[in-house]
Amino acid sequence: MNDHEYDVVIVGSGIAGSVLTKTLTQAGKKVLLLEAGLQAGIAFDAEKNFQNYQYYLNTFYKAGAKVPNSPYPNIEDAQSINVLDIEKITPENKPTTNGYLVQEGPLPFASDCLRGPGGTTLHWLGSTPRMLPNDFRMKTEYGVGVDWPITYDELKPYYEMAENEIGISGDVEDQKVPEKVVGDKTIYYNVDRTYGKDYVFPMKKIPQSYLDKVCMNRSKGLKVELNKVVYDIVYSSTPQGRNSIPDPRYKLTGITWDQRAKKLVLHRKDDYEYQPVGSNWDPYTGQRCEGNASCVPICPVQAKYNALKTLRKSDPEYLAIITQAVASRIFYDKGSNDITGIEYKKYKYADSTVFETKVAKGKIYVLAASAIENAKILLASGIANSSDQVGRNLMDHFVMLTWGLLPEKGFPYRGPGSTTNISTFRDGTFRKEHSAWISPIDNWGWAWPTFAPGTDLSNALSEGMFGKKLRAHLNDVITRQLLLHFECEQIPDPNNRVTIDPKYKDQLGNYRPVIQYQSTEYMNKAMEAAKKVSDQIFKAYGVEDFTDYTMKNADAVKYNGKVYNFWGAGHIVGTHRMGSSKEHSVVNPDQRTWDHDNLYLVGCGNMPTIGTSNPTLTMTALSFKAAESILKQLEKNEDHGSTFSKKQFETT
Amino acid sequence: MSKKTPKESFLTISVYLTGYSQVDLLGTGMLDTYYNTFVENLEIENVTTYFKEVDQILDNSGNSEEKINEGITKVLFGSALVSLTTNLITMWYTGNWGQDVISPESYTQGLIWNAAQAHPPGAKQPGYGSWADEPIEIPTI
Repeated sequence: MNDHEYDVVIVGSGIAGSVLTKTLTQAGKKVLLLEAGLQAGIAFDAEKNFQNYQYYLNTFYKAGAKVPNSPYPNIEDAQSINVLDIEKITPENKPTTNGYLVQEGPLPFASDCLRGPGGTTLHWLGSTPRMLPNDFRMKTEYGVGVDWPITYDELKPYYEMAENEIGISGDVEDQKVPEKVVGDKTIYYNVDRTYGKDYVFPMKKIPQSYLDKVCMNRSKGLKVELNKVVYDIVYSSTPQGRNSIPDPRYKLTGITWDQRAKKLVLHRKDDYEYQPVGSNWDPYTGQRCEGNASCVPICPVQAKYNALKTLRKSDPEYLAIITQAVASRIFYDKGSNDITGIEYKKYKYADSTVFETKVAKGKIYVLAASAIENAKILLASGIANSSDQVGRNLMDHFVMLTWGLLPEKGFPYRGPGSTTNISTFRDGTFRKEHSAWISPIDNWGWAWPTFAPGTDLSNALSEGMFGKKLRAHLNDVITRQLLLHFECEQIPDPNNRVTIDPKYKDQLGNYRPVIQYQSTEYMNKAMEAAKKVSDQIFKAYGVEDFTDYTMKNADAVKYNGKVYNFWGAGHIVGTHRMGSSKEHSVVNPDQRTWDHDNLYLVGCGNMPTIGTSNPTLTMTALSFKAAESILKQLEKNEDHGSTFSKKQFETT
Repeated sequence: MSKKTPKESFLTISVYLTGYSQVDLLGTGMLDTYYNTFVENLEIENVTTYFKEVDQILDNSGNSEEKINEGITKVLFGSALVSLTTNLITMWYTGNWGQDVISPESYTQGLIWNAAQAHPPGAKQPGYGSWADEPIEIPTI
């Protein structure tokens, strides 16, 4: 293998890596994809793919704690973060070293991701609201955080590509969310401007749940007061990456590289009919969401999008995939600063300590290994860090949960995890004081905070209930459970960070991420405010509040004399942020590192702020932007004469 | 004296313990698995004692549900047998023995989901859009 066998070497087959792999190979660029997880998970053969997925599903059924990573192999050679490993950090036990992360605290980082083929899209919920225009200019509008180096309008064409690729079901009209309150008037974002006149999603909205309707009916015209400002409670159906009924008005066919215009183009065809993308083993399975109510951790029919659907669209003629290959270090030329190779360790089989160390070579290199893993690899290599921002500004949504019993049956534990959100506090001048938040109505009862309904059963049994009385009691209690999320935006904090320490390595000798994480006044104030809002909403619904916060919880803070608990959202963001100057950021708006001309980073790590949106859609939009920049760069070089022959090469 | 086999006693008392009919319980297809799990996880003398108590409750009740329930409260929820009884009920409701899920099938057959008018997450999916309406009531015996 010569030094430039491949045009691009990509680390990671999650959604960012898969979008790049698909886009670049379809444009005729040779890609080597390195994936840390097991070979079985990538199976392109339908039969093997089905068998492997059934193995995941049965592992999920058999799991005692059905947490996000429970269906998937957790390989010693490429460990995933597991939320079951999170524990309270005290001066006596710190750092905690359970599982993969080393947590120095003071608060434990409570979110996980999946290292394996398809990445975290295997267990993601699939909610895909876009970020709001003001999310891109937090510093200018509200004096907190940082501005993005690009605007909402600049990202808009890439949002359309991401929505096409994932296959979004949603109603654009419902995305008319409040921007601010002026006097007693709520000003809304104009969707004709934010989405464009006549823009529609590929599929109609996923039906909102019966529970959503109960909540909405019980709170018609509801206003809540917070810090002397009165807000309308506004409900929005949640756009999501799962299949529903195609919208006949959607005419965008797909994305290709326009060599002459040097840009990615999302094509339109007037007689086009969108076709939902089914499962990876059978295109006719998963054409619609079937209501399995298990999106996290696994959609049995793959009606929910996962990155392997995108990866499978790659042109196999230009693609080589090496699995069980864990990227460990990146080499660079000290003169030019150009990257010269990525070292990876290929382990023999799951949990094996036997591995070979190899170096992957290409013209351009892309890290798409997750926000935490990308930062870790950069730190281990001592590169891309002239700004000292690598690993810093680690963010997540603080998910404050409130739960209670409705006065009538809402019938939770049915349908996708969430189909409606309260969008009232996604934006507003209050962001000068505290975080914004999005409030999804959770369709799955109290499962998250209390491990219901199993705990409802054990509580009833401990009271001596059995037989018909037990059955009636469970029916009464479980069907009335309501859970609201308050997913609070975390602001970039340089002290929330990923570092490495030679004391902590995995069995292949790769670094384990060391995490420092804390809450700030801005967050705590948001939880205080959110609880006040929750109280008013619960009152309107007639809900009996069973919310119980305790300092015993792993993530607990005390603010103004009251205890608040929060949970991780699984939205790991910000560890190698994009910016407009090389002094304050790791990548530029093209997603290319400031320090190395042939190194790109993709994924949520590039996001300078998190907003109130689930980050996958925005990150996917940025990945298309990265693909376009890479193609531009490759073709600029090719214009100077360094093309090479197309040839089929083996998949290792 | 009862002429029931222990498995028959297990099924009969399970009806009173779970609040589900014999048809519902047999419909899960889990009777053999659960009976075997129950027996295998107990010392043999405890199995004998448990079924002796169960048979006494059933035989002395004159088929009165009220009397059977009294017996259950007094004896099967008594300090000596309560943990066995709650394990037995938990098994039918969740497919677990203690903290362990007995098998993928047992999870999907958990009666707690029927009690909740829902379905086990990841199985027995009710179909596109079903969640937008009240659950359909399927009458049981």
